[in-house]
Amino acid sequence: MRTIILATALTVWAGIVAAQDVMRMAVTTSFHNSGLADVLLPAIAEDLGLEVQLLVVGTGQAIKLGQAGDVDAILVHSRTAEEAFIAEGYGPYRREIMYNDFVLIGPADDPAQTGQATTAQSALQAIAEAKANFVSRGDDSGTHKKELGLWKQAGFTPDSFEPWYKAVGAGMGAALNTASGLDAYILSDRASWLNFGNKGGLAVLFAGDPVLFNQYAYLPVSAERHPHVKVALVQKLEEWLTSARAAELINGYTIADQALFTFNAKP
Amino acid sequence: MSLFPLSVRGAQTSRRGKVLVGPLDLDLRGAGVTIVMGPNGSGKTTLLRLLHGAARLTAGQITWACDEAQARREQAFVFQRPVMLRRSVLENLMYPLQLRGVAKPQARTQAEDWATRVGLDGMLGRHATHLSGGEQQKLALARAMITQPELLFLDEPTAALDGRATREIEAVLRAARASGMQLIMSTHDLGQARRLADEVIFLLHGAVQEHTPAREFFDAPKSIQARAFLRGDIVE
Repeated sequence: MRTIILATALTVWAGIVAAQDVMRMAVTTSFHNSGLADVLLPAIAEDLGLEVQLLVVGTGQAIKLGQAGDVDAILVHSRTAEEAFIAEGYGPYRREIMYNDFVLIGPADDPAQTGQATTAQSALQAIAEAKANFVSRGDDSGTHKKELGLWKQAGFTPDSFEPWYKAVGAGMGAALNTASGLDAYILSDRASWLNFGNKGGLAVLFAGDPVLFNQYAYLPVSAERHPHVKVALVQKLEEWLTSARAAELINGYTIADQALFTFNAKP
Repeated sequence: MSLFPLSVRGAQTSRRGKVLVGPLDLDLRGAGVTIVMGPNGSGKTTLLRLLHGAARLTAGQITWACDEAQARREQAFVFQRPVMLRRSVLENLMYPLQLRGVAKPQARTQAEDWATRVGLDGMLGRHATHLSGGEQQKLALARAMITQPELLFLDEPTAALDGRATREIEAVLRAARASGMQLIMSTHDLGQARRLADEVIFLLHGAVQEHTPAREFFDAPKSIQARAFLRGDIVE
């Protein structure tokens, strides 16, 4: 297994699994922070003899890496951006693999009283009205795009917010840390939250609205645009990611006895 | 604010119920070059990944002197086998700067400067994947250092290189050290460890056996296992 992180600094790390074939996939920081990659990649190497090199970035950057042909496939969670990627000819199709959900995190005493909200929209309205500190990823990631979409649905434009809205331009772990330090509200995917070790005074305050559904999809990069794309390996990985073996590992991955993802790939 | 001191308390990582490393206690104060040594499978790579936040902590705490977001920005990681973006040398160097929002002309100037520092100035237009192993590793180093992180992790950075390339890489690392950058590096090469180390962490079975200044480690190792390792014996 080998992983490249291309977040704010570019770093590389490699595992010790010897594999015959190598391909590259850009994934989101939220997926990587969940720890699931540490379970899936060794199994992929073992089952397929395939080393998957991960480039870990936000969805926006993952899509750009796919557009540039720097990777053979991407695994992201922003349907609108994925569909644009396909429409512009950068990838032939998307294949849904699994989902988790977004949750609204905030100070346990919930000064904006979001816990009483019945929808994600009304929870955000409560935060805006209370002008309670809110940390945004601000990094063009899938989570950031989702948050902006939710604000829009709630009738707000974050550009107009006062200093209580803090866009940190960082990955999920770092943004959660900032929220923890500021006792602020933040939108997080559930996996990253469960995996986050510095919760401090924060707690899950709102969850369960269907609009918070977080679908992950696998998109091969177009070999027509980038002939160096390893089509056979991309296909091999797709078959594995949609297999019963992947389903077992994805559904069986838990932290603190909570499942983080639900496998929903269709055969 | 500096990343150091770094405090590691009861840190552990497991996979499928098997403890890979830990529990570990360490205090790192930014000694310059910290070399992580130990036999194969002792947990060197996993320790580096844990410190870098790339492996999930299943128990314990790792605490930097600054906040987590700054700690992430101030670190970079280089591995034994460099992975190049499928772009030119120049574009590989510019990429991390562009991710940080540096304007293209400034990013280009800095990229050219770093290419010169690592001896790749004549190769800016070449496709990175067509470089030799040593050249790719120099590019990986420059790409990691171009954002001037306070701390650079290196996992066996010269293990796959010949003597000449190793010498060149070590020269780059010395220059980084001299500029104030902190390095935490694993190596199985005792000679390299002697040449570069300011302090040594000796690991065995995922636990810290020794953490001492380099001179003490090489001149008077405390543990039987470290003495055996330095003699070249097989340590289990």
